[in-house]
Amino acid sequence: MKSSKKRNSAKKAQEKQKNILEILKGHGAKIYRDLDDGQFPKFSIPSRSVSNIVYDKELRQYILGNTASVRSSRNSSQLRSFTQLMWLAFFANRLSQEKKSSTLRDVYYSSQAFAIEFDDQSESDNIIVDLEAVLSKPREDFHIFPEERSSIFGDLNIEYTIPGYEGKTMNLSNHPDGYAIGPSLTTSELLDTSAEIVIAIEKGGLFTRFVEEQVDKKFKAIIINTGGQAPRSTRTLLKRIHDEMSLPVIVLTDGDVYGEHIAMVIKSGSANAAHLRELTVPDAKWVGVWATDIEKFKLPTIPMTESDIKRCHDLKNDPRYADGIWKKELEVFLRIKRKAELEAFSKYGLTNITDKYLPQKLELAKSL
Amino acid sequence: MSLLKEKFNQISPSEFFYSNRDLAGFSNPTRSLYTAVREFVENALDACDQKGILPNIHLTIKPVEQDKSDPRAYILTVKDNGPGMEAKHVPLAFGTVLYGSKFGLKQARGMFGLGATMAILYGQITTNKPVVVKSCVDGKTQDEFELLLDIQKNKPVILKHNTRPASRKGLSVSICLEGDYSKAGTKIRDYVYETSLITPYATITFDDPKGQKFHHAKFVSDIPPPPTIIRPHPHGIDVERIRRMILESQFEIPTIDDKMIEKVRKDLGLSKKNLGFTVIMQKARKKWKHLSRQVRVVVALMSFLKMDFERLSKIKIEDIDVPNRKLHYWDFGDSQSKTVEMESESQYYKQLTNTVQGEPLNTFLTKRFQRVGPTTAVKFATFAGFKPEKRMGTMTNQELVKLSESLQKFEDFMSPDPSCLAPLGEGPLEKGIKKFFNPDFTAVVQRPASAYSGFPFVIEMGIAYGGDIKPGGPHVYRYANRIPLLYDEGSDVVLKVVNETDWGRYKVKGEPPFIIVSHICSTRIPYKTAGKENVADRPEIERELRLALQYLSRKLSAYMSKKGQAEMAKKRANLYAKYVPLISQFCTELAGKKKEPNYKQMLEEGMRVEKQ
Repeated sequence: MKSSKKRNSAKKAQEKQKNILEILKGHGAKIYRDLDDGQFPKFSIPSRSVSNIVYDKELRQYILGNTASVRSSRNSSQLRSFTQLMWLAFFANRLSQEKKSSTLRDVYYSSQAFAIEFDDQSESDNIIVDLEAVLSKPREDFHIFPEERSSIFGDLNIEYTIPGYEGKTMNLSNHPDGYAIGPSLTTSELLDTSAEIVIAIEKGGLFTRFVEEQVDKKFKAIIINTGGQAPRSTRTLLKRIHDEMSLPVIVLTDGDVYGEHIAMVIKSGSANAAHLRELTVPDAKWVGVWATDIEKFKLPTIPMTESDIKRCHDLKNDPRYADGIWKKELEVFLRIKRKAELEAFSKYGLTNITDKYLPQKLELAKSL
Repeated sequence: MSLLKEKFNQISPSEFFYSNRDLAGFSNPTRSLYTAVREFVENALDACDQKGILPNIHLTIKPVEQDKSDPRAYILTVKDNGPGMEAKHVPLAFGTVLYGSKFGLKQARGMFGLGATMAILYGQITTNKPVVVKSCVDGKTQDEFELLLDIQKNKPVILKHNTRPASRKGLSVSICLEGDYSKAGTKIRDYVYETSLITPYATITFDDPKGQKFHHAKFVSDIPPPPTIIRPHPHGIDVERIRRMILESQFEIPTIDDKMIEKVRKDLGLSKKNLGFTVIMQKARKKWKHLSRQVRVVVALMSFLKMDFERLSKIKIEDIDVPNRKLHYWDFGDSQSKTVEMESESQYYKQLTNTVQGEPLNTFLTKRFQRVGPTTAVKFATFAGFKPEKRMGTMTNQELVKLSESLQKFEDFMSPDPSCLAPLGEGPLEKGIKKFFNPDFTAVVQRPASAYSGFPFVIEMGIAYGGDIKPGGPHVYRYANRIPLLYDEGSDVVLKVVNETDWGRYKVKGEPPFIIVSHICSTRIPYKTAGKENVADRPEIERELRLALQYLSRKLSAYMSKKGQAEMAKKRANLYAKYVPLISQFCTELAGKKKEPNYKQMLEEGMRVEKQ
């Protein structure tokens, strides 16, 4: 049973790899043909302008509409960025062929070896997003990974697929500082787990507290530190654990509008990644710290700043905040105009959050 | 306690300028050296211009003691090839303030030769050395003077005067003054350089204190037509000026002595016999048209006195009472005062009235102002509320003020006559700009004459781009009446107009290599200060400057877009040549091919696309 699953998943990873290589080759072949025929080659890129980002109620996330722009090598003002995109496709192909991983910054510097100029990293970052949109694949699929690292801890067995580690397995509760969520982890096969829930927590400090207090054992949980806004690799991993291991995901953040939105991004993605579909956990639940908790648990608070309040008003216009707990908590934040951090529970003792607050919230989550 | 006595002293013009020398640009050794150079060079150029001589000016500045440090005494010499100055005028011209030949109304660099005298004065007070003037008017003998100014009396003191043979006409002025060449040097060199740009027909040589020689040879051999002296325009006049003009128009009753009687007799063509009163009158009536004014007046007096020459020599006219038509005279024979009546219908009465009360207003206007005809004169009189026949001599102070104000306000006068202006001309200006800057693009324009407050002016302007011009432009070269203006740039009207221009609109961007040469010609440049460095922003002048600059900027803009298109096409062709091979290389590997596609065809098409 176990071995068949293993073989199965290894095959899946290979297929995915083959798939991306084929798509890339297809684009290359088309451009080759155009050049040979004396035609100016072009890319069709789905538009990421605000007017083309729409909220899809069924998918429960933002997606791109039907507008696409053409980047043609005929147009001299687009020639440079066309060449950059062409190079990136070529570079992504090399990375995937050689199973090497790269970062955004890496890409920026690698370009210089091929006489491709980027004015700065933000220009190369943009081209990477262009390629994501052209391929409809996240950049992790063509081996470009973000540099932000978050971490994971808990009883989860994985098997590496990256070159040099193929077949090697690991239990993610072996190291109490947790494991960094990087390319090797996001591409590894998820084998098995005894956990029954995933707790995503906004802050590193609380992550350490949770490990110390053995939250993983007491509540049969996998603990993930998102390090603020969850990076895409973390969101990918969250989705995979949820989908492949059938584990529910709950999110615990600071009691402010930014915390609420961190949970929302895990649940339904960001407008920035509207061209991608595999980054969301629509069933994820935000369990706290809620605005109502601030009053209920009499937490020490700090006043909201101007920008906090402005952010509240911005989010009120977001269709995802139109109902339910999202709407209700936003309104309470706006009413009390105060916020509280996760650490605020330390007022009642260092373990108050794990002993008292967490159990209550886990119980509540079942009914959400 | 002693009584405080206030003393009221009349001060001489020399004294006035001595105590106000800052106003004239002699505030410190640096500025003074520069100003002195300017004044003498400009006088030399003006002298040559007036006589239509191609100027050849030699400027020398030498320190008195080589090893002293600045500020120190310098000997400044300016020598020209102009007409020279008659020996009898030299002491007054160089030894008094406000003596000069340039009082007429026409364009000249300087106004009254005031600045040169100021420089001499400054030299004298800082070094106590005389000015040395050498003048040769006939090309044979040269008069040499050493002069000092008596400041309190405004009179020259001649220390030395001698004569020696010479071979060339011209004037040389040499003064000793305290100056700071290490600081003023840049400005003086700039001044000489910029002067030669706006005076392309002049050769200017400058020997500087460090032994360097700056030689700017003429590159145009035609002098622009010299300006003519003209009568004033009604708009450019004030009460004081009218008063002086009326004085000029009035004639005094000539003294009737033997000499005068002899002249009248001769002019009437009478022999010494048969000099009866009736004969004289008959002859006079016949010859009236050919008689001079003085003679007419004598004849008119005789007609009322009914006297012949014999009797006329024995009386003296005391008063001509025009309103009461009475003529009073003193008879030497009886030693008493006598009176005769004058008939108002007589033509002789009119003659006397003219003499005593001045011209009628309409004649005054047509004769003494530029571009005023009889019709305009009558129209103006109605406008101002005077009878056209109103005698100028009978105007009261109040009436004069009213007349002056009306002259300013009346709008139907023709615009001022620009024939008194001497712009350089588009041709020489363009030639100068091309020679000095070797630019890629040049455009020049001379605006039609315009006027402010009755003073005519003409704007000439040139613009040049690229070539030897340094980036960081626009660099503005300002000129007024062929004088370069180097100081106080910030508050100048030309700078104001240039700075208010949005160069982006004319496709001039970044740190462009371009220059603007602006030349304002006028009978009176509205300088902000006596130092002649910046021009005030009169709306009329500002408008003309703006129009000139806009015209040139449009030309520049056309040039820039042509240049831009050519550059762009080249740039695009380069883009294809650069990127297409890269695209080819990447897609070959991506498509898993060995041989690169044939993209040559596409590159060629790329060029074609751009050409369309």
